[in-house]
Amino acid sequence: MKNKWEKNLIILTIIGLVVGSWGMYQRLAYGHLGMNYGSFVPWGLWVAFDLFFLGLTAGAFLITILTYVFRIRLLANLGPLAAFTVLVTLMCELLIISLDLGHPLRVYRFLITPNPGSMLFWLVVFIISMWIIYVPWLYFLIREQLIAWGNDASRVGHKVYRFLALGKTAYTPQDRQQDHRRTRFLSYLSLPIGVIFFGAHGAIFAILHNRPLWNSAMLPLIFIMAALLSGGALITFLAYLYQPNDELIHPLGHVVLLILLSFLFLEALQMFVGYQSKITGIVTSLDLFIIGPYWWAFWIVHVLIGSLVPAFLLIRYPENSKMVALACFLIIITFLAVRLNYLIPDLAVYKLEGLQNTFFHQRLRPEYVPNLNEWLVAVWVISLGLLTFLLGTRWLPVVQAGTGEAEHV
Amino acid sequence: MARDLPQEDPLIRMQRDLKRALKKKPTDIKWGMVIDIAKCIGCHACTIGCVAENKLPPGVVYRVVLEEETGHYPFVGRRFVPRPCLHCQNPPCTKACPVTATWKTEQGAVIVDYNKCIGCRYCLVACPYAARTSDFGEWYTAETAELPGKLYGQKAAANGYEAHPAAEYGQKWPDRNGGSPVGNARKCHFCLHRLKVGMLPACTTSCIGRATIFGDRTDPHSLVYEMIGSPRVYVLKEELGTRPSVYYLK
Ligand code: SF4
Ligand code: SF4
Repeated sequence: MKNKWEKNLIILTIIGLVVGSWGMYQRLAYGHLGMNYGSFVPWGLWVAFDLFFLGLTAGAFLITILTYVFRIRLLANLGPLAAFTVLVTLMCELLIISLDLGHPLRVYRFLITPNPGSMLFWLVVFIISMWIIYVPWLYFLIREQLIAWGNDASRVGHKVYRFLALGKTAYTPQDRQQDHRRTRFLSYLSLPIGVIFFGAHGAIFAILHNRPLWNSAMLPLIFIMAALLSGGALITFLAYLYQPNDELIHPLGHVVLLILLSFLFLEALQMFVGYQSKITGIVTSLDLFIIGPYWWAFWIVHVLIGSLVPAFLLIRYPENSKMVALACFLIIITFLAVRLNYLIPDLAVYKLEGLQNTFFHQRLRPEYVPNLNEWLVAVWVISLGLLTFLLGTRWLPVVQAGTGEAEHV
Repeated sequence: MARDLPQEDPLIRMQRDLKRALKKKPTDIKWGMVIDIAKCIGCHACTIGCVAENKLPPGVVYRVVLEEETGHYPFVGRRFVPRPCLHCQNPPCTKACPVTATWKTEQGAVIVDYNKCIGCRYCLVACPYAARTSDFGEWYTAETAELPGKLYGQKAAANGYEAHPAAEYGQKWPDRNGGSPVGNARKCHFCLHRLKVGMLPACTTSCIGRATIFGDRTDPHSLVYEMIGSPRVYVLKEELGTRPSVYYLK
């Protein structure tokens, strides 16, 4: 094993898979019976994780547009790693959202009885579009290395690489040129698709006019910024781990700081407008996470650990890669709190006066706290994603293929 | 306002109205409901009638009775607002469904196809009236001890109620062990299965205050049409533009 931390992480993910399998068993054997969400808060931890994974997906998107659209060469080496990350996070997103469905085996319904008027339908279309873009994109980025590994008879599994390279044994300059043309085309394509994809997640919530906290044109924009922030932080952190090059980390740190400040500005704006509107539904929802029972998730986890400390580190130590990576790590691990804070408060406010006194059942209450089963399923999905990522970076040339990519931008 | 006492039980009139409506071309019928909150005494009989009719499991409820407090001390009051699905004419829930598993029928009832619904619960989030609930597969008798014999114990208790097939949408839905409607969004469907055989919805017949009026809202001779014309009429959250087919009388 190359690195000790990598080996430890792999062991950790296996433990995660074993521990999480209890939650998976509960979910697969008893459906949603063992979960805490109900009919008034129909979406819970898993949807928050879906949004969290979505954000991580944005990392590669950021790299793509900075590298191939804005032609910033510095980040080009990260291209293949970023594309691979996007596929892993998309896999996690699809997995956790499927587990959240009451009848996951009916997903074929999206094909046979689609509703083009539904935002959720478009979301699925864009998730699939992202796959359609990123699978070939990654393939063309690593094809040269795949051929080389396939030709290397001393390499374990070289036949698999030969198979993945579709039997090709030589990589000509024409092939290289062609692959670069293809990746450039896919990058341009990913720009509009990616923006719509991230915005569409926000639009799912924003179009609901019965949800006053969400129902604003600003929400899709906030979702795009949130995705870029967590994704940018993830890529910077990974860059620190896999390509610890100061010239790469420092500019990425600046980008993350800029996005962090913009995101905080938008968030503050949303709260200002919400409070000033003095609409009871909005004020109650905002109060719920700002001064409600979970105030700490907002103030301590999100504002302090996830925003102020990283901002301080990024401003104070912009030239220190370790500090930049630490700031990004803090942003990533606290981002779930941001997602939960967007999701739960609007759901957790009764939308009709008197509803609280009608029917007493735990599924018909606005209080929602994820239970152990929900956390265990999330642990299982994260562990699977992390394991796929670690084994992928080991068994696929996603890090190696990045070398020299800058010349082709 | 002085009003004449009704000459006959409104149920009898509604039954007559229903018979007349069912003779019409189905596409010409538009079902509607009027709830007179001045008559509702908050007994919850309609909730129970609905639960029993549709064999609703724990946590699934189609028709609740909201309790609102009005005025300021010492001039306080309390009123009851039964809330079924309002069968909106412009329903946000159906637009949300990604797989067209829920839609408005030609007769104006908003229904769910349990065999199509993937259980994403987006319609629950989209409904402004919290009129949809998700079936999580719970059993009232889950905690009941099993005893031998046919009269007592878990199985006997379940057979007495929740293991009975519900007749919703004219089908038998007996399987509460994972198959639909477990895992689906569920909601009031105006008891379409009862209407089909000439019976009024369960909430309407069980309402002891005769506060619930049901019928074809396009039939000028029907009681429901008459009630919709009342100056006391209003709808819930009118500002949202959902245009409910369930009206209220102040
Ligand atoms: S009340 Fe809710 S569930 Fe019923 S039609 Fe209107 S939006 Fe749909
Ligand atoms: S829960 Fe069922 S009916 Fe509701 S939006 Fe999802 S698929 Fe459609």
